[in-house]
Amino acid sequence: MDGARMWHVFAGGNDFQWCFSQVKGAIDEDVAEADIISTVEFNYSGELLATGDKGGRVVIFQHEQESKNRPHLRGEYNVYSTFQSHEPEFDYLKSLEIEEKINKIRWLPQQNAAHFLLSTNDKTIKLWKISERDKRAEGYNLKDEDGRLRDPFRITSLRVPVLMPMDLMVEASPRRIFANAHTYHINSISVNSDHETYLSADDLRINLWHLEITDRSFNIVDIKPANMEELTEVITAAECHPHQCNVFVYSSSKGTIRLCDMRAAALCDRHSKFFEEPEDPSSRSFFSEIISSISDVKFSHSGRYMMTRDYLSVKVWDLNMENRPVETYQVHEYLRSKLCSLYENDCIFDKFECCWNGSDSAIMTGSYNNFFRMFDRNTRRDITLEASRESSKPRATLKPRKVSTGGKRKKDEISVDSLDFNKKILHTAWHPKDNVIAVAATNNLYIFQDKIN
Amino acid sequence: MIMKGQKRKLPPEEVEVPDRSSPFWESQRQFVFSVSLNKYQRGQELPEPSLRRSVLIANTLRQVSLEGCMAPSMDMEVSQPPCSSSSAFQESITNSHSALSSCPLVSSNYLSNCAVSRSPVSCHSSASNVPLSAKNEDEDWESMSMDPDFSLSAAISSILTALDSTIDGSPQAAQRTPLRSLENLSGPAEGAVAWMKQGVRGCGGSWEQQENSMEVMRSSYLSDVTVEDLFQDIDTSLLEREMGVLGLRGSGGGYPAGDDLLRYLPPLSSSSSPLLPFSLSLNQKCLPSFSSFSPLSSSSSSLPSLSSPPFSSQNHMREGLELDHLMEILVES
Repeated sequence: MDGARMWHVFAGGNDFQWCFSQVKGAIDEDVAEADIISTVEFNYSGELLATGDKGGRVVIFQHEQESKNRPHLRGEYNVYSTFQSHEPEFDYLKSLEIEEKINKIRWLPQQNAAHFLLSTNDKTIKLWKISERDKRAEGYNLKDEDGRLRDPFRITSLRVPVLMPMDLMVEASPRRIFANAHTYHINSISVNSDHETYLSADDLRINLWHLEITDRSFNIVDIKPANMEELTEVITAAECHPHQCNVFVYSSSKGTIRLCDMRAAALCDRHSKFFEEPEDPSSRSFFSEIISSISDVKFSHSGRYMMTRDYLSVKVWDLNMENRPVETYQVHEYLRSKLCSLYENDCIFDKFECCWNGSDSAIMTGSYNNFFRMFDRNTRRDITLEASRESSKPRATLKPRKVSTGGKRKKDEISVDSLDFNKKILHTAWHPKDNVIAVAATNNLYIFQDKIN
Repeated sequence: MIMKGQKRKLPPEEVEVPDRSSPFWESQRQFVFSVSLNKYQRGQELPEPSLRRSVLIANTLRQVSLEGCMAPSMDMEVSQPPCSSSSAFQESITNSHSALSSCPLVSSNYLSNCAVSRSPVSCHSSASNVPLSAKNEDEDWESMSMDPDFSLSAAISSILTALDSTIDGSPQAAQRTPLRSLENLSGPAEGAVAWMKQGVRGCGGSWEQQENSMEVMRSSYLSDVTVEDLFQDIDTSLLEREMGVLGLRGSGGGYPAGDDLLRYLPPLSSSSSPLLPFSLSLNQKCLPSFSSFSPLSSSSSSLPSLSSPPFSSQNHMREGLELDHLMEILVES
């Protein structure tokens, strides 16, 4: 937390009281690798919630309207569609298997009755159309209700087929496949505000696509050095500005963010703005670079700020100020003294995501032990909550959790050494309008809601 | 803080000590170094290593080795690490290469034994006449490893190149013939001299040998062929003869000279040590085994006695000529 500013303004309605709503996924201890959720994303209206997993599947949940008899609860999310987005592939040229794990899902703004989303694995991006069918035509002339062709000689009269209601069927069909444009692993996709283009970023390059054109893309950033021996920095995340379709940012493994303007040049290797916070020499360690590596970057809905997540903190940047963030929130500072062990067990390489709430007044990110953290930017209050089956009673209010750092452990606190580093919350999403959050805990998806007072 | 199912390992002091003269800092530095190398190697063994992870580990390695150079106390005795001998050796490599590449002249024993390196920094060639046997065994051991800047940074660089080749599938992933590694012996003249001056002890890793090992290592990353496979076909009788001429045998250890060169090319089969790639080449009789993080006390007992004769400049000259002679023969064959 930024200790210099202690705001005691009570923000009234901003005081959240999160309670459990639902959990999706298997309960058994034995987690199948393919079921591990790898991305979570609400659509623009918040009506749909998509998850992708390591097995290449996409599951979409739809928000049901509130029921009349339980008005104090918002509606629930139920499965709307499930489909296999990506299959494991084999690259014969390099003898490498391409993982089917869904790295990112991004929704397109809705333009008609159908929903569109982009899903990507390490190498290929696909545009999926999800459409409903709740009527079917009956009374065809040339075929029976079973579908068998009728003998034409037996047709004596013509009739007009009639649309009859049927059980709702949700179909997902791949409309575009954007392949063979990335040598390295895709880490981000982002739909542009023009709704016609989108960008995809891998470790060294960023490409700009048109949604209609699959056989080519523009390379707009390329940081691959001529001599790979000189490589010291990779791209870790990229995002389009929410309103200015010529602006995008990308973050690096060295803790820097570059903002680029596509009007300036075709190849945006030269940034327009460069965001980096000078290092605090007193906290320098062998792991300083690794923990500075940015794992996620997200613009605020307003487009005025952006948020970055590195290993120990979340930083909010004003796009007009490049030399330091305007706000810094410590996610799990108690891990700083454990970096050596976390390096050894590889946890230091975990990539946590972060997200804004709809009004940009709060931010959320995950941690270990199935903890996730929320920070209220106005009140500067923060809270740690846990996504666990134990606290999953319907409408039960979540109890704040605390990690004890000193010697004395208070009741209900958990000590740092007892944290389960296998239970990591890497992916979280916040409803664009309401106070509903989705938290992915390994193979389970938790949905929490703010209690309506 | 235990990952389920894993034994708790005992890491060194967890305190982040920016104070470089503290022994904790040093031991942590070495720990991080050895863990990083291990991690890197294992990452490379995966079918598709993560580029971000590899770059971060490589940068950490680089930083750790540079900081080792900048440590104030370069006292020989102090630098004996409390942890594994492997990290000690690696530290000595990094110290020497770092010393050469980035440090100004420091009146340390390291530099007095430095060979002339490719980089125009630091070392006095005259100093190489200091008889090594006059020092105690520990100093000898560390002074053996005075590779110029090439060794560690080249290892890291070659790793990244290999990564690129693997990922890009470039045709440069051609198999390197066994003799290709020997061609590297005819590096720049100063490098060759460096090799000679440093250590026809037979055990030291000259930079060419390091480069050899890394060349072969690089090609091994690109294909599944191990070095041993490559050497199946090679007729080493010629090599043995020539290497004997060069005086490798002269290191006195009592092992056949012809095997020396082959030994320096690392066995990259899976049974090999997971640690430092080019240190595998040195996992030989004359050096402690790197296959475990054993404390120095136990591994130092495995240090064999090094009975090499003191050097003279005449030896160097003759060996330099013989090296050229060898190269001519190899090129013609």
